[in-house]
Formats: sequence, C-alpha cells, structure tokens
Amino acid sequence: MSSSLDKLLENPRVWRGHNQAQRKAGLASGYPELDRYLPGGGWPPEALTEILTEQYGIGELRLLMPALARLSAEDPQSACSEPGWIAWVAPPFQPYPPALQQSGIDLSRMLIVRPKDTGEILWSAEQALSSGTCAAVLFWTEMLDDQASRRLQLAAEKGHSWAIAFRPMTARQQPSAAALRLELHSSAQGTRVHILKSRGGRPTVLNNLNL
Amino acid sequence: MSRAWKSPVTARDAAPTPLAVQQALPFVEPAPLVKPPFLTPTSVQRLWFCIWLPDLPLAASRSSDDAAAVIEEQQGIHRVLLADRQARAAGVMAGQSANAALALLPTLQLEERSLLREQQALEALAGWLERFSSFVCIADHDVLLLEIAGSLRLFGGLRPLREKISKGLRQHGFDASLAIAPTPLGATWLARAGRRACIRDEQNLKRELRHLPLASLSWPAGIYASLTGMGVTNIGDCLRLPREGFVRRFGAQPMLELDRALGHLPDPRNAWRAPERFCSDYEMTEETSNRELLLNICRELLLLHEQFLLARQLGTQRLSFSFFHLKGSATELQLGCARADRSAERWLELLRIRFDQLVLPEPVIATRLRSGMTQALQAESARLNFHTADAGPVRRYSIAQLAERLIARIGDQSVHSTNLVAEHRPQYAWRTQGLLSDWTSSTLSEVRRHLRRPLWMLPEPILLPADSGYPLHQGNRIRLLDGPERLETGWWDEEGISRDYYMAVNPAGIRLWIFRNRRRSSSWYLHGYFG
Repeated sequence: MSSSLDKLLENPRVWRGHNQAQRKAGLASGYPELDRYLPGGGWPPEALTEILTEQYGIGELRLLMPALARLSAEDPQSACSEPGWIAWVAPPFQPYPPALQQSGIDLSRMLIVRPKDTGEILWSAEQALSSGTCAAVLFWTEMLDDQASRRLQLAAEKGHSWAIAFRPMTARQQPSAAALRLELHSSAQGTRVHILKSRGGRPTVLNNLNL
Repeated sequence: MSRAWKSPVTARDAAPTPLAVQQALPFVEPAPLVKPPFLTPTSVQRLWFCIWLPDLPLAASRSSDDAAAVIEEQQGIHRVLLADRQARAAGVMAGQSANAALALLPTLQLEERSLLREQQALEALAGWLERFSSFVCIADHDVLLLEIAGSLRLFGGLRPLREKISKGLRQHGFDASLAIAPTPLGATWLARAGRRACIRDEQNLKRELRHLPLASLSWPAGIYASLTGMGVTNIGDCLRLPREGFVRRFGAQPMLELDRALGHLPDPRNAWRAPERFCSDYEMTEETSNRELLLNICRELLLLHEQFLLARQLGTQRLSFSFFHLKGSATELQLGCARADRSAERWLELLRIRFDQLVLPEPVIATRLRSGMTQALQAESARLNFHTADAGPVRRYSIAQLAERLIARIGDQSVHSTNLVAEHRPQYAWRTQGLLSDWTSSTLSEVRRHLRRPLWMLPEPILLPADSGYPLHQGNRIRLLDGPERLETGWWDEEGISRDYYMAVNPAGIRLWIFRNRRRSSSWYLHGYFG
C-alpha cells in the first residue's frame, strides 16, 4: 500500500506544494511557535514579507529583531567582501540606535533612507533590494499595488535580499505578490499573529505570541 | 679676581663698534655697490624658457577670424592697442583712434581690452605648460617662464622640447616670442627683444645681453629717457658705467636687475600652481530647453573634468552644475558621490537620476560645471577572479554606490547611517552619520545591556494628558510595567534633564516609554515605543 503511494509521489506530474516551499530553508524568526507555521521553518528568504498593523509599537519590530540580528551579525554570502546591510526606508519614527544595538544589530551597517513620497519610497526600496548589499530592507508604505509588490518581489530575488513591507490594515483586501502576509493584532494579553497568506503554507492564527 | 671681572666687560664695550660703523654707511642698499662674485659653479645649473606673448590681448579677445583689433581707453580716447594681421594690412596701427581705424577698415571688429580675460588666458596656458615642467611661473602680465633643465632628458633634448612648446602655442592661437637662457630675467629680456636665443652657459649669456637694446628691459620711461639721452643704448653701455654713480642716479633696482640677469645675484621665483578645482562654462549661441541636448553638454563638461582630474591624479566627491537663464537666477544642481571619483560615465549616471527631476523654469543659455574639493585618488586593486560567470550571487554594486544613487535622487540629508554617542541623555545617545564622508568609522561604545530602551524613538517627547495624576494614552489609563529609571544629568549645559523613565503598556497592548519631569512640573511625557 505504502509502496504504491511512494511510487505515485515519485511521479514527476505530481506537484507537492509543501515540499516546493521547503526547498529553501527560511530565516529562523527566533519564535518557535511562529516558525512551526512558516514554510521552511522561518521567514521566507529572498522574498517579500508584508506585515499589516493597525498601530506602531505593538511588537512589529520585536517580531523581526532576532532574524535581523542574525542577518546583521553574519554574512549569508560570506565569500563576498561586503557584509549584509539593513536598510530602513521611510520609518515612521526614529529607529533608536542604542536599542537596536541591544537587540544585536550592527549599527555600522544600518542605512536609513527618508524619501519624500510613495514613489520614492518604492524606488529606494527597489534600489536597495536589487543592489545585493542589503541583507534586509524594511519599508513603510501605504500604497503598494499588485504591480509594485511584484517588482519588489523580483528585486528581492535578484539581490538575494529580504524585503519587509509594513502596511496599514486597510491593505488587507488588496492583492499582493508577497510570499508571506501577516496581520498583527495587539491586546493587553499579548500579540495575535494572523498569517493571511503564506506561499507553500496555509493561513493560520497564532494567539498570544510572547514577543 | 677683579681683573677677571673686568675683561669680559671691556669685550662687551668693544662689541658694538663694527655695528655702529655699518649703520653709519650712507647707502641704503649696499648690495649693488660691490660687484657680487659669480655664483659658484657647483650650484645646480638652471635653464629658463621664456614665453613672451605680445599679442595676448588679441588672442584673449573673443573675435573671430575676421579683421579685429583690441582698443583701450587712453586719456579719454579709445585707441587701438593691437590689430591682427588683416587689420594691419589695411593700415590699422597701434595708437590710432578707434574712429580712424574704422575709417580705414569699416568691417573691423573692435573689442575693449579685458585684463580679466587676459589673465584667464595666461593661466590656462600656464596650466597647459605644466606638462613640460614642474616649475611654471607667471612672471609678468604677458610673460611665462619655465624651468626646463630638469625636463630636457624626458623630452629628448632642447630642440624637441622647444618644438613641442612652440607648436602647442601656435595651436592655442598665440604668436609667442621664445628665448632660453640660464637666468630668468636674461631669458625674459631676450624674448622681449625678439631674439630667438638659446643660451646654455653664463659667458654666452653675458655676450648676448651686452647687445640688447634698453627698450626690451621694461624699465621705467624716465630712466630709459635719461639713459638714452646720455647715449647709453644697450646693456653693454650700462655695464660700462661706474656702479656707484649708476646706483646713486637711478636707484638700486635697475642695478639689481642687471646683476640678476647676468647671474651675479640669485633670482628666486615663485612657482605657479594650477588651481585644484575645476570650473568650466559652456555657452550656447541660443537658449534651449532640450534636455537631451543639455545632457550632452553636461557630458562634454564631465569629459573635460575627467581630463583635468586625470592629469592631476585627483578625484572629487562633489560636483555642482549651474544652468544659467537669460532672466532670473541660475538653476543649481549638486551631485555627491561616496568615493572620490573622476569617471565621467559614473558622474553622468548620477546626473541622469537627478536631471529627470530637475525643474528648469526657463530655457538655458549657458552651463557651468564646478568640482568640489579634490583629493588624491587612491587606486584600488580588483580581485583576480576567474569564476565570475558561476560565482553565484553577483553583487551588482557596493553600499557606497547604492548610497550615492539614493542621495542623487532623494538628497543628502535624507540618506544616512547612525552611530552611538556615549551620553546618558536619551535624545543625545545617538547621532546620524553621513554616508558620503566617514561612513566606515566604527561604533563608539557599547550600550549597557540592562538598560531598557525602546526601538522607536519620537523626535520630540509628547505631553500625555493626565487623569488625576495618572497618564492617559489614547484616552485610556496606562499601566506601568517597569521603572523608574532616573536620569539626572546634563546640568553643565542648557539641556539638563531630571527625569524618571518608566516602561508602560496601554490597554491596546502598545508598550510605551514614558517619563515624568522631576524638576519643573510633574506632567507625563511619551518618548518612545517598544516597537
């Protein structure tokens, strides 16, 4: 019985979505409960991740910090001379360097860009992603249509970079080419992470993630 | 004992006597009185190449190939200073009034003399001459001097060097008179006299100078007139006059000049240095708004700029373009680059990014390119890589290149890095760091691990409303989680603080970093979010 199933699975015409995504190992998020639900066991590398939040300060950065710290500390393509930078495009407030250093981010490889309008935000993010020098590019934008998200997704693949878009909750209904879309809700009990879309995974709700 | 005391005293008394004698001498300038000895032959032999440009005013004027003349106002009348060959053929001469010259040749182009343009032309020429000698000197408003003894071997001898220079001068449109002599002044006088002399040793120089007419010396007219009145017409006659009487009558300066020209006295000169900054204009015959054309003009300027920097082994980090309009002030465009560079292609790429956004209020009539501070360019060795094709992830460009692309589009102030500052006051514990200047400098200090600091910092603390002493955030009471952390510092300047910081959480789960002022009022402020 099982041998016939194996035979069936070996057939090249059978497409297994789960395995497809697992071919590339994810960036461990530092939160085991979350990793369990992410295909590849972590954040999708070389892809666009979207994080939808209603407010800032509910743990959206803490969620990313362990992975960013590891990217900042080690160079994923260490054969090359320049290590991975982390670019912040249009952050809503000032990322506070002492706290970033406490979280393990290498401050000598931080790039902060403050463009004036949405067009420039997307342009800067695309430049940083495709440059191949930034290990991660975080950007904050309200407008991100299907076409722009596709462009950024391609730029992330080209530059082997991790793109993280922070968007308001209203963007939930808009289509997006992101490999992973998360929704963050916060309450006094903790932060609820809702996986809206996950390439190679399935939508889930994680209650009370301890950030 | 007393004798021993006395002898030094007498010696001291005796000492001032020779000084007093010296001061009592009746002449102010003692040097020309005594004929100085020849410079010792062991001193380094120098050879001076003089270029006299008698037609500099004409060459510096903007006139075209037609008959042209440069005029100058002399005692209220415009007189012809110089006329070109065509004009001279028609009878125009120096000293004629402008009207007389126009009557002779109605098509004559007259132009007012511009000393500024002459100076610019002379400096441009000096910059060009720097390729032949490390010592170029602008000796007078129309005289250039080169020290060429050190260049002879490189250029294969005196004759090839001379030919190269005179050919280049012709190409630049100058009609120059050249002379070579062991002293700078000797070379200048020979060139002014129009002798195509080429003298290498001082004995020959003396012989040659003796026959020079006094007119080529550019001495003051009074001296020249009285000497000619005495029947003294050339330098040889001057030298036969008694030195003492000559000095008394005409002052020390002419005698000093004679001694310098003959090599009896040293004649140090100041070397001219080409400016280290580039500035060049491109003027158009008519206004244009064609962006493609303007970009092409910028490209040509950038190529000139590259040549300029290449000759000096320099690079620059900043460039500025000015687009001039007929009406209104010029439109400025600044470009910055992470590493000093001179490559025109690279600058053009940056320019294209910015040029798309540039608003030109009016058509452009002229373009100027100015380079910023230049610095020595350090060559970098590339990696020897045989496997570029299958090297896997190919890095398209470095962080510096990324930064300069971003800066070119968004602006210098909006792209930066950060660094820590050893400071207890939270708002001063960090600073921004430009990426174009010192972006490789290392982090200053480590933050102590036990301190709780928020990931988001507000630019200014926000006053929180309070409900009977409890701070409110978004209309709700907040709960204090941790604290207080007392920061009381900075008393030595205006910005001293005395605050109790707390970590708090509002009912929506947002973690806040708030503080209460201890000194002035007890109101609460929000200073950051724990992201």
